Amino acid sequence: MTLVEKILAKKAGKKVVRPDELVEVSVDLAMIHDALGAHTIAKFRELGVEKVWDPARIIVVLDHYVPNKDIDTAKKCLNIKKFVIEQGIENYYEVGKGGIAHQVLVEKGHVLPGTTLVGVDSHTTTSGVVGAFATGIGVDEMAVVFKTGRLWERVPGTIRINVEGKLVPPIASKDLMLFILKRLGVSGALFKSLQYTGSAINQMSVESRMVLTNMAIESGATNGIIEADQKIVDFLRARTTHSFELIQSDQDAEYAETLEFHADDIKEPMVAVPPKPSNAVGVTEVEGTRIDQAFIGACTNGRMEDLRIAARILKGRKVDKFTKVIVIPASQEVFKSALAEGLMATFVEAGAVVGPPTCGPCMEAHMGILGPGEVCISTANRNFQGRVGDVTAKIYLASPATVAASALKGKISDPREFFRET
Amino acid sequence: MELKGRVWKFGKDVDTDELFAGRFIMGGDETSTSQYQEFIARSGLSDVGHRENVPRDFVTRVEKGDIIVAEENFGIGSSRQQAAETLKFKGVQAVVADSIHRIFFRNFWNLGCPAIDLPGISAEFETGHGIVINLRQGTIKNLNTGKEFEFHLIIPSWFVDMVEAGGLIPYHKSLKS
Repeated sequence: MTLVEKILAKKAGKKVVRPDELVEVSVDLAMIHDALGAHTIAKFRELGVEKVWDPARIIVVLDHYVPNKDIDTAKKCLNIKKFVIEQGIENYYEVGKGGIAHQVLVEKGHVLPGTTLVGVDSHTTTSGVVGAFATGIGVDEMAVVFKTGRLWERVPGTIRINVEGKLVPPIASKDLMLFILKRLGVSGALFKSLQYTGSAINQMSVESRMVLTNMAIESGATNGIIEADQKIVDFLRARTTHSFELIQSDQDAEYAETLEFHADDIKEPMVAVPPKPSNAVGVTEVEGTRIDQAFIGACTNGRMEDLRIAARILKGRKVDKFTKVIVIPASQEVFKSALAEGLMATFVEAGAVVGPPTCGPCMEAHMGILGPGEVCISTANRNFQGRVGDVTAKIYLASPATVAASALKGKISDPREFFRET
Repeated sequence: MELKGRVWKFGKDVDTDELFAGRFIMGGDETSTSQYQEFIARSGLSDVGHRENVPRDFVTRVEKGDIIVAEENFGIGSSRQQAAETLKFKGVQAVVADSIHRIFFRNFWNLGCPAIDLPGISAEFETGHGIVINLRQGTIKNLNTGKEFEFHLIIPSWFVDMVEAGGLIPYHKSLKS
């Protein structure tokens, strides 16, 4: 069996599971956030149950519309807070304590290898980075999970994405992911799992790997997953005292498909042209496209290494006069580290605005919403039409380096000029 | 269980931002059923005139009991259940598509509305055709062409009961009693 099959078999209490088999698994962790949390709670109340199945297995993070932007969002967050107190849920991340849920789940060591996580968010797949089965569900199902601690799942066959070689900066895991999506398309992995393997993945930092599991959903996949290695073990040991079991795919595991990639195949930084994350082209193809906004952040690329590479490009320079440049760290922890390293000063001096940890202009939630015809280059994960404001606005997806280089010129720019040996 | 309706033909990759824009997610009072349903129904597909994969007159002319037949990858994107709810509250009773994204698939069924994936089915229907779906037999019939198609869904055995109960929440409540 593959890694994901082994996790689902274990959680279903079965010896063997096969792709497309239906199983009922126990849920180790369930996450709600402010965007759909109040709805989940309303549905849970409708079920007529008093207590959640296990308050220790529920994590609540306020991240989408915070600090609250209006009365509606404040009311929903209040309802969530009341529920958290009433149910005795310890893992509650109020504004200023956590950040974006997917980042918090990983950086605080909540998600462990070989476990199951569900969240009311499609990018819950991010946590697959530690070798967990992590996936998104809707609010009715989450209400039932709150009641029963169980979830049915169609065992996804595994598409193995094997990447050899080494990415050379400024080519980053974001460029690799856009390159992979170009081949897979936005429906290439429906009801399948993406498992990333190979020397390029092994060499990658945990942060870089999170980009791959985060955007697995963009191929239509149920989840994205990477086997936990020593890097993950060290990462988690620094963050949790819980013990965990390392699970690997069997030697004779059957994959639905194996797609081979080599880092050298990515000749230049990639940009996904609107309106699909799979519309990837080399940056030189769209170089010079005028932009109105540049956004560095989101659960995709709002971590320290993302901010570091952006700061390296922006340091001592000024962003374009007519371009709104927004930098949002993915979590309070990232914010703190970036402050300590002086990155935030670099951004502010360059003429960027730095926001508090929140989803920001990744979606049409709060801050950085686009007006008619505006063009944004973003490190987020989706560029669907109307995703971040007016339906006529356009979103290009790229790596933090490409977004930072573009911010300086007010048009889509190749970051490689900042990385040539001098 | 038989579902009969009038077809609306959608294109491919209808995404959840398109079905229900982010700016409406926090609107709607989830503690008041009638207000919520009215808000969700009204707010969905708000930019439909700008999209190529949804008929322009869908929002104004959709009626209770209508059925969407779509090309591949219906409902790609977010967990937001409102994307499924808005179709239900606008009157859509089922979605049939060449393929359907996992989260939308689950969300729509959970509302008591079948989502049926059958590769190639979209080529067999046009807007305005009559359609009959027999859930237990696993058949779809085009009343205009007379052609019938079989489908084999990968769903839990209790799903059809859940549809008959009106969705996941009412189904779970009925289990208790």
